[in-house]
Amino acid sequence: MSTIAWKKHIKRGLILTSTPLILAACADDAESDPAGEDTPDTEENAGSENSGETVQLEFWSFWGSGPRRETIEAIIEDFNNENDNIEVEYVYQPWGDIWTKSLAAIAGGNAPDVIVQDINSVRQRAEAEQATNLQQFIEDDSFSENFYPQLWDTVIYEDEAYAVPFNTDTQVIFYNKDAFEEAGLDPESPPTTWAELEEDARALDIQSGDDWEQIGFYPRWNIGPDVWALNADEGVSWFDDEGNVTINTPEKVAALEWMLEQQDHYGRDTINQFEAEFGSGVADPFISGLVAMRGQNLNYYTNLRENAPEDLNYGVFRLPEYEEGSGHWTWGGGFVLEIPENTENPEASFEFLQYLTSTEVQERFGMNSFDIMANIEANENLTSHPDLEEQGQEMYQMAQESLETTVITPVPLTAPDYIPLVNAEIDAAFLGEKTAQEALDAAQESVENLVEQNQ
Amino acid sequence: MDLTKDVPANEKAEPKVKKKHFKSRKRQQLIGKILVYIILIAVSLVLLAPLGWMLSTSLKSMEEIVSFPPTLLPETFRWENYAFTVQAFPFFNYMQNTLLITAFVVAGNVLSNSFIAYGFAKIDFPGKNILFALVLATMMVPGFVTMIPQYILFTQIGWVGTYLPLIVPSFFGSAFYIFLMRQFYMSVNNELIEAAQMDGANHLYIWSRLMMPLTKPALITIGIMSFNGAWNDFLGPLLYITREENYTLQIGLQSFQNQSTTQWNYLMAGATLVMIPTILLFFFAQKYFIEGMDLTGGSKG
Repeated sequence: MSTIAWKKHIKRGLILTSTPLILAACADDAESDPAGEDTPDTEENAGSENSGETVQLEFWSFWGSGPRRETIEAIIEDFNNENDNIEVEYVYQPWGDIWTKSLAAIAGGNAPDVIVQDINSVRQRAEAEQATNLQQFIEDDSFSENFYPQLWDTVIYEDEAYAVPFNTDTQVIFYNKDAFEEAGLDPESPPTTWAELEEDARALDIQSGDDWEQIGFYPRWNIGPDVWALNADEGVSWFDDEGNVTINTPEKVAALEWMLEQQDHYGRDTINQFEAEFGSGVADPFISGLVAMRGQNLNYYTNLRENAPEDLNYGVFRLPEYEEGSGHWTWGGGFVLEIPENTENPEASFEFLQYLTSTEVQERFGMNSFDIMANIEANENLTSHPDLEEQGQEMYQMAQESLETTVITPVPLTAPDYIPLVNAEIDAAFLGEKTAQEALDAAQESVENLVEQNQ
Repeated sequence: MDLTKDVPANEKAEPKVKKKHFKSRKRQQLIGKILVYIILIAVSLVLLAPLGWMLSTSLKSMEEIVSFPPTLLPETFRWENYAFTVQAFPFFNYMQNTLLITAFVVAGNVLSNSFIAYGFAKIDFPGKNILFALVLATMMVPGFVTMIPQYILFTQIGWVGTYLPLIVPSFFGSAFYIFLMRQFYMSVNNELIEAAQMDGANHLYIWSRLMMPLTKPALITIGIMSFNGAWNDFLGPLLYITREENYTLQIGLQSFQNQSTTQWNYLMAGATLVMIPTILLFFFAQKYFIEGMDLTGGSKG
């Protein structure tokens, strides 16, 4: 072969290997404007300082479809129209994974301006310097009074606010009114104490042979042992206000014993079988009429509205009192709005944050999503909002009542990741490996050790 | 079934026995075959059941999905679920994005891994074994460990928000594919290379002209595997894509999952649509796929 032919081949080889790299480089151009209809803007932190007029903000949440998304987009559009100097862009991030992404983005220094975060870990992020201290922007001391006090507590780290509560939830019990009637119970007077709850549950149980046709009530379905425990212990969760570990108190041991009795009543096999059928959360035992009373977040109402047949006649009652007068204590979670550390326009971001937590906007979001809002006045307005159907108003009335005794349990700084330690012991009790006392004693000890290590 | 029933005894003993023997052997074979088929059908039913369930769920209404006992087939086939799904998020736009990324990743993986493996399999150089061991050792590092450092690196070179962090790494080889290709190269006769070298061919020429065609099954295997990898990748696009219009299908699918509700019917309809290319690809390339996975190098024997 001649040298010329060889050169040709080498050239081809080189082209072959280098083409992908060139293509990859082109891909950059291709993707920055894939639809070809965007107005060209700068890639990073689009025009924050250089234009001098409009501040661009990026807002992340996990509302990807349905009414929540429609509502937040409409709210943002109104905000943008009202504010000439701030332009908010809404970016949807997948539920759950949003926090993986935000963690990476904050670490990498290109976090968005505002993120919807989990209410239980605000202090952790404040301590790790991942969230901006908002205290400097709060001009009015009464700002915090807009929110339920237990929600506001979660955003405080070393006496200063690092987030603003957005929405919350509260655990209640949904019950099938028709089933109550069939069992000869008064559908308008649901149980108010654990004893009554158990009594009604027995009346609602329907067993044919070895099979259960209807389960009156099984406490562990969608309400955790932690919630029953704090209900029995007058609202004290696994930690008291001073941060002491309060896992094996007599009331909590009694609560766990009661739960174990309920498991024994139906039998572990029955419970396991039901959990295998419904554990994935696709089929719904309450809607299907297999469970007459079911613990849930109040927001379960949205599921019922969307998925239940028209004729499902249901009501809601607060978590019963352990003993008469001990209080309808229950548990809730929620989400907050945060400004990550080291963003360029925290002031403008805070303005947006204030807008999102204002009574008017909170009311609007709640009305379309049936979320329980963090703003007290917004929920109050929703209890009698003319645009809501009666049952919708009732949900907000229930929210108002239940929130009075709803405990939020942010993870203490001294006990990160304590939850698996406790749950492992409680599972051992449900498996019959330990008594309630033994399980909670062991949990108490291991969490105390954890706290000691972190002090 | 009583297999011996119709065989009369004692008559013309010898040939009968032969025939009987022959017949029963044939029977045995038939029964064996039937058994094998029953097992195969049973196993494939088990394997296909989730797919079938996905399809069935995708055609149901939410009311039907939450009811118990679950229905095997939808009461009414709600094809409109599919129409809704592709409108619920910019499905075709996301599909384009996914295709773009996938195309580059496949090209990158096929070229780079084949090229690198050729070096490890056919060129002698000092430290080759140590280097190869190092390459394989990267398989031991879990992805989560490198996630944040890699993210910070890509941030610093300004690639976050582009497709580059998803595409470019595939042009630099991946341990598993290198291993796969190297094993395949081992089955290619060295004399072929020596002969080509005798004729004055260099390694680049040998790789691109002789080896690429010879290793086609392995290349196709890598192609399919990296297609699946890129097509179904969730974490990569999640981390590196910052604008919604640049999202991929896997991220789009997640929009049906909310904090409290999941729209199973739309999620399943979307999942079905997203899966179609993967299934088609597998059917078309099945033959090569199985050849390529044959690490013992079937051609050698």
